[in-house]
Amino acid sequence: MNTIATLIAKDLRIEARNRQTLGLVIVLGVLIVTVLGLGLGTQNNVNGFSATAVLWVAYLFSGVLCFEKTMAVERNDAVLSALLMAPIDRGMIYLAKLLGNLILILAVAAVITPAGVLFFGFDLSVAPGTFAGVMALSILGFAAIGTLFAAMVSSTRLQGGLLAMMIFPVTLPLVLISTQLMMRAFRDGLPPGAASIGVLIAFDLIFLTLSWLTFEWVLEP
Amino acid sequence: MCPECKRTLGYLITAMTFFALAIAMVLFYVPTEASMGSIQKIFYLHLPVAIATFVACLICFAASIAFAVTRDMKWDRLASASARIAVVFCSVVLLTGMIWGKSAWGQWWTWSPRLTFSLVLWLLYVVYVMVRASVESPQRRAIIAAVYGIIAFLDVPLVYLSVRLMPDIHPVSVELAGAMKLTLIAWFVPVFLLMFGLIALRFRIDQHTATTGSGDQQSIAAPMTWAGGTL
Repeated sequence: MNTIATLIAKDLRIEARNRQTLGLVIVLGVLIVTVLGLGLGTQNNVNGFSATAVLWVAYLFSGVLCFEKTMAVERNDAVLSALLMAPIDRGMIYLAKLLGNLILILAVAAVITPAGVLFFGFDLSVAPGTFAGVMALSILGFAAIGTLFAAMVSSTRLQGGLLAMMIFPVTLPLVLISTQLMMRAFRDGLPPGAASIGVLIAFDLIFLTLSWLTFEWVLEP
Repeated sequence: MCPECKRTLGYLITAMTFFALAIAMVLFYVPTEASMGSIQKIFYLHLPVAIATFVACLICFAASIAFAVTRDMKWDRLASASARIAVVFCSVVLLTGMIWGKSAWGQWWTWSPRLTFSLVLWLLYVVYVMVRASVESPQRRAIIAAVYGIIAFLDVPLVYLSVRLMPDIHPVSVELAGAMKLTLIAWFVPVFLLMFGLIALRFRIDQHTATTGSGDQQSIAAPMTWAGGTL
C-alpha cells in the first residue's frame, strides 16, 4: 500500500506543480458540454434526460485526454524507464496509475456535472444517490480500461486518436447501461435494477482483473 | 501445379459447389414466406454469417491468448487473419440485417438490441484491425493486438447483456418449416467453408510475407525480459 501511495503522491505532486492536465481536461469538458448544449438546446427540443448523454460524451473525451496526459508524464525524461527498474511489482504501478486517474477524473466530473445539470435543467435531486453510484461504477470501469490502453499506446506514433478509438467501443456497455439506469431513475422514478448493476460490477471486475494481469506485458520503457 | 495449389483449388471448388447448391435451394426449393415474401430469403444468409462471425471472433480470442502465453508470432498472424474475416462477415450481417429491417420495419436502422450488438461487435474488430495498422514494430503490434483481442472478446457478452435492456423489435426465435430448416442448414456449410478458407488463406499470406523477409520474427522473448528492455 505504501508503494501505491508513494506513486500516487508522485503523480499528484507533478500535477500540482505544473497544473497542466487538470486545467486542460476541465476546460475541454466544459467546452464539450457547451458545444452540445448549443447544438441541442437552443430550440428547446431536448429534455433534462439529454444531460446524461451529454455528460457521458464529456466524461469520455476528458477521460481519454486525462489518461494520455498522465501517461505522457512518465515518458518525459525517461521516468518510466526508472520506474520499471525500481523493485516494484508492475501490478502496483497499474493500481497507482488507475487511482491517480480516478482522482483526476472525479475532480473533472465534479466540475463538468454541475455544468451539465445547469445547462440542461436536469433535476438531480430526484435520485442523487443513484446518479452518484451508477456514475462511480461506470467511471471505475472506464478508468480501468483507459489506464491499460494509455500504457499500450503511449509508445506508438498515433497516440491521441488511437487511444480514443480503442477505449470508446469497449466502454459502450457502460454508456448503455448507465444511460438506461438514469432513464429508469429520473424519468420513471424506479430504483436501479439489480441485473443492470450486476453487469456494471461484472464489467468493473473483469476489466480491473484483466488490466492488472496484462499491464506488465504492455509497459515499454 | 504444386500440391498446395491443388489443395486450395479443391477447397475452392468444394465451397463454390456448396454455395451453388444453397443458392439453388433458395431459388427453386424453399417456399416463399407468407407475410414477408421473397425478402425473407435473406435470412438464410444472415443467420449463418452471423454465427460464422462469432466463430471468427472466438478464433481471434483463442489465438490472442495463445500468443500471450507462447509469444509465437504465428498465433498473432492467426488472430489478425480471423479478426479481418470477422470484420468482413460482420459487415455482411449488418448489411443483410439492414435490408431485412427496411422491408420488415420500414426503416434501414433501429436501435434494437441485436442491431446495436452487431454494430458494437463490428466497431470492436474494425478498431482491432486499425490498431494493428497503426503500430510499426511487429513485436509491439503483436502484444497490443493480443491484449486488445482478449479484451474485445470479453467485452462481447457485456455488450450483449447491456443491449438486452433496450426495447427489442428483432425476432427472438424463428419457427421454421422442414424445407426452410434444410435450406438454412445447407447455407451453413458454404458459409463456414468460406470463413475457414479465407482465414487460412490470409494466415498463409501473412506467414509467407513474414518468412520472406519483412523483418518479422518467428517468436519473441518472455514478457519480463522484453519489458525489461533486453530486446
